[in-house]
Amino acid sequence: MDLETISARLTDLQAAGLEAIAAASDPMELEAVQVAYLGRRGELKTLLGGIGGLPAEDRPRVGAIGNRVREALEAALQGRQVELEGAALDDRLAREAVDVTLPGRPFRRGSLHPLIETNREIARIFGQFGFVVYEGPEVETDVRNFQALNIPPDHPARDLWDTLYTDVPGHLLRTHTSPGQIHVMQQTAPPIRALLPGRCFRYEAVDASHGFEFFQVEGLMVDEGTTMADLRGLLDAFAHAMFGRARPTRFRPGYYPFTEPSVAFDVQCVVCDGAGCPSCKRTGWMTILGAGMVHPVVLRNGGLDPERYQGFAFGLGTDRIAILRYGINDIRMFLENDLRFLEQF
Amino acid sequence: MRVPLAWLRDYVDVDLEAEALADRLTLLGMEVQAVERRGSDWHRIVVGELLSVEPHPGSDHLLLTRVRIGDAEPLLTVLTGASNVAAGQRVPVAVPGAVLPGGRRIDVTRMVGIESQGMLCSGDELGLTTDADGILILPGDAPVGRRMAELFGDVILDVDVKPNRGDALSLLGLAREVAAATGGRIRWPEIVLDEQGTPTAEHLSVDVTDPRLCPRFVGRWVDGFVVGASPLHVQARLTAAGVRPVSNVVDASNYVMLELGKPTHTFDAAAIADGRIVVRPARAGERLETLDHVTRELTPETLVIADARGPVGLAGVMGGAQSEVGDATSAIVIESAVFDPVSIRRTARRFALQSEASLRFEKGQETRLARIGADRVAQLVVAWAGGRAAPGRVDTAPAEPAPVRLPFRPSRVTRLLGAPIEADEMRALLARVEVPTEAARPGDEVPIAVGAPGIRLDEEAARDALVAIVPTHRRDLEIEADVAEEVARIRGYDRIPGRLPETPMPVFRPDPRRAVDAVRDVLAGRGLNEVVTHALVGPADHARLGIPGDDAAIIRVTNPLSVEHSQLRRSLLPGLVRVLVENERQRRADIGCFEVGHVHDLVDGVPREEAMLGVLLAGDQGGAAWNQAARPADLWEARGLVESLCTRLGVAVREAAAPSSVAPYEHPGRTAVLRAADPAGNLLDLGRVFEPHPRYLEAAEARASHVAVALVSLDALQAALPRSQRYAPFPRVPAVERDLAVVVAESRPAGEVAGTIREAAAPLLRELRLFDVYHGAPLAQGERSLAFRLTLQAEGRTLTDEEIDAAVARIVEALGSRLGARIRS
Repeated sequence: MDLETISARLTDLQAAGLEAIAAASDPMELEAVQVAYLGRRGELKTLLGGIGGLPAEDRPRVGAIGNRVREALEAALQGRQVELEGAALDDRLAREAVDVTLPGRPFRRGSLHPLIETNREIARIFGQFGFVVYEGPEVETDVRNFQALNIPPDHPARDLWDTLYTDVPGHLLRTHTSPGQIHVMQQTAPPIRALLPGRCFRYEAVDASHGFEFFQVEGLMVDEGTTMADLRGLLDAFAHAMFGRARPTRFRPGYYPFTEPSVAFDVQCVVCDGAGCPSCKRTGWMTILGAGMVHPVVLRNGGLDPERYQGFAFGLGTDRIAILRYGINDIRMFLENDLRFLEQF
Repeated sequence: MRVPLAWLRDYVDVDLEAEALADRLTLLGMEVQAVERRGSDWHRIVVGELLSVEPHPGSDHLLLTRVRIGDAEPLLTVLTGASNVAAGQRVPVAVPGAVLPGGRRIDVTRMVGIESQGMLCSGDELGLTTDADGILILPGDAPVGRRMAELFGDVILDVDVKPNRGDALSLLGLAREVAAATGGRIRWPEIVLDEQGTPTAEHLSVDVTDPRLCPRFVGRWVDGFVVGASPLHVQARLTAAGVRPVSNVVDASNYVMLELGKPTHTFDAAAIADGRIVVRPARAGERLETLDHVTRELTPETLVIADARGPVGLAGVMGGAQSEVGDATSAIVIESAVFDPVSIRRTARRFALQSEASLRFEKGQETRLARIGADRVAQLVVAWAGGRAAPGRVDTAPAEPAPVRLPFRPSRVTRLLGAPIEADEMRALLARVEVPTEAARPGDEVPIAVGAPGIRLDEEAARDALVAIVPTHRRDLEIEADVAEEVARIRGYDRIPGRLPETPMPVFRPDPRRAVDAVRDVLAGRGLNEVVTHALVGPADHARLGIPGDDAAIIRVTNPLSVEHSQLRRSLLPGLVRVLVENERQRRADIGCFEVGHVHDLVDGVPREEAMLGVLLAGDQGGAAWNQAARPADLWEARGLVESLCTRLGVAVREAAAPSSVAPYEHPGRTAVLRAADPAGNLLDLGRVFEPHPRYLEAAEARASHVAVALVSLDALQAALPRSQRYAPFPRVPAVERDLAVVVAESRPAGEVAGTIREAAAPLLRELRLFDVYHGAPLAQGERSLAFRLTLQAEGRTLTDEEIDAAVARIVEALGSRLGARIRS
């Protein structure tokens, strides 16, 4: 064989190889093509094995041509390999396609009870002003629930709380969270900023706005200079946090035996915005809490000197706040535990 | 207290619109809860003159009247069934098209062949009086044709008078408040008596056995009157105020109660033996038939008005039927007394007879009103019923207390209110409520709290102090803080500036609810719904739990609203099961809910509360779907939930064991006690997870077949919380995993097998996980295979094969020797 012939055959081999590579339709075929052309016994090796008969000066030239052919075939093989792998992946992906409109895996949607969450929200708001949470018992003594709060036995003000009594002598179901004031004053020295959330009980027939079990949050702040102006500022801040910055509030006289002066605190009706509606009994206002400056007798019963210390207390009805906050029209929903209600929170 | 404005105007000028007045009173602490307009629902009801009254020709119970309702109006023919009408009278006529209160429409109707062009109205139909039997006969000068609403309409304010302001439970008292609001002055009614005949003291004697129970008794004698109906305007006023008119004599007493706030009573003098009254505690065994015709057994705690024969009335609460003023009464004894508030309150409560009178007595009475009230009643009886008031009174304690001096420090008032108010302004404000002030003197004592020594003013302090001269009707002004409230009240609470506190903050205190809130957040995040159920449950709920009704540890309510809510719950379970049952009724069967609440019991006579977490799972917990099978609630679901909850809080559940005994509501084979260690290493019971006993569910009317419950003590969980959370370094060298299939007797608890492995493999065992439980061939009957994956690791180095083999050999040996187990290979 001479140089001419061998060059021509290498060129033919390259053409045939490229054709075979392009024709390979899967990785196996491609592998076979590679073995057939570039393998140890492949056509290229075989052809180049025959160059021993060429003159010595021609051999490098043939070698160079052979290398070009190998490189061309190798490049083609690799290109074809990438092509085939891509196609195979596309195939797999096509096969894996699903109906994406089928529903997702169901995860149960949990919920937190609106009353307890309202308590937490109240604590969060007052927490920003340094109020910390304390707890008191649901079964209280008559002494702490009434007498220590300046309500002696047979005091006409007892009519303000229809009480559920127990068969444990001297014990009743707390009618309000106010006995917590005594608990806190007895265990902590001023300055005091305390919150006491809890369940309360009253002898009260159940209707849309009353229940015999309900929740309250008591607040107490005592030190040497706490004033009624502080009370008002704090209650305004609370009302604005809970019902929006622009909502007007009203501070007016109330009556509790354990505060003096006593306060009733109103916000503009959240239903009618003050225009007057059945929810606010056409007054345009809704009372959201009772408050006042802690009565000197109560300070003394808490172990504090009323000439040195002064402060305020407030008690807000969680149910009432929750009703206004969520637009609920029947307080009974809270203890019915209908999932259709609970799942909304 | 219902306040008819037309009546109020007798005592004070009111120039404000009703709504504006209501607002002013509310801002003054006299909350107006409703503004009612009498007459606003009278449409086309006018004054008519009866020109003629004849029998209806076709009916013997109807009258045919001809009515003039104005010169320009045609005469009307109106039929009526009432018999009290006569020609010449003026009466209210509802003309065709009229609407009565309650929406009743009056049109032309035919009755027994004759057309009636409207209706004559009774006082009751208009709500003007309470008389429903006859037509309301108007005064002879009532202008014919005028709308009734114009003549008799009024505005009634419903004022919520607080318990400390008994003085304001009267028109005069509220007139004082109006005057304080507007700057006006009140007018007392003019009380003049034309006394005639034998002096009262010759008709009547009064003896009080215990002046503490009856500090003052004023009696008066009136005779020669004729009992009948009160004048129309009196009846209308009483009706508007919510008091039923009875007769001119009784109405006089009620009128004075509303006018002055002074309850009085009128006895038929004929029923008082020898005119001798004794005020004394009842004797055991005495009985009295009260005005409501109930015979009551009296006890020595009851104060009575008696004569020589026995009680004739319950002092301050209700009179006796025997001495009731009736049509035949010709002489009365007027009782105008002051009683001990506590005694009256107890008596009224004991007999469930709280009345307008007892409510006023129990708030305390001004002493001088006993005298003024007696005079006023006598005056009104004579004015409305005729007769003569006997000269003088009998009076057991004629001395009347003077106003009280109440020293206060304006600087202290300012300090309390946080508003700078000059002493002169305080004086002016107090003057508006009839409280004059004067300068304090050295030695004056400022009362801080009732029953405690006050602050003595020295010369310097006295210079800056004032004294409020408290009139006797203001029994609520007792201490310095009361003066502060009065100043703030009259000045207007709205003028107290709001500001945020600048006083020192308290020291940090950890939130006791943090763990509880974490529990709630975790469970809600796991898809559970938080519920709040009643703390008061019924005996049936406890009985189903196996707690008998007479159990000594139950705390009971002695005055429950219903038996279903008469005991404090000892468990959260009944409430949770009720949630299940109620939602099953709404066709919601797949439920996961939890409650955080207190359970109660009595330990050695002392109430004890424990904070508990209750979880109830029922039905499918996984959410069956097109690509997912249902996962019915079971013991392991509940246990896994509690364990993951504990892990989240840093508490490891160390042990889950079958309990030594199960409750009747627990499945005897599917109940476990969970235990954790507290930071000191003591094992504590966290609570129980169980599937309820099928009989319990059946008794509670729950239909679900797959239910699991966890009842966990939050107090125990709190005690088990780590004091601090510390990072634990973990080995960087690779761990080795080995699987062991342990074949043991089926009766051998898996917990015991795991415990044996843990003990034998320590300290190399990092993790132990049971991944398979297998029964059946090739295992023998009564055997099972428990497959565990062990993760072994040493600190800081890679374990050698020899070490691992030695550890496994130790485990296998321990399992074999202690539990008779073998390894399945």
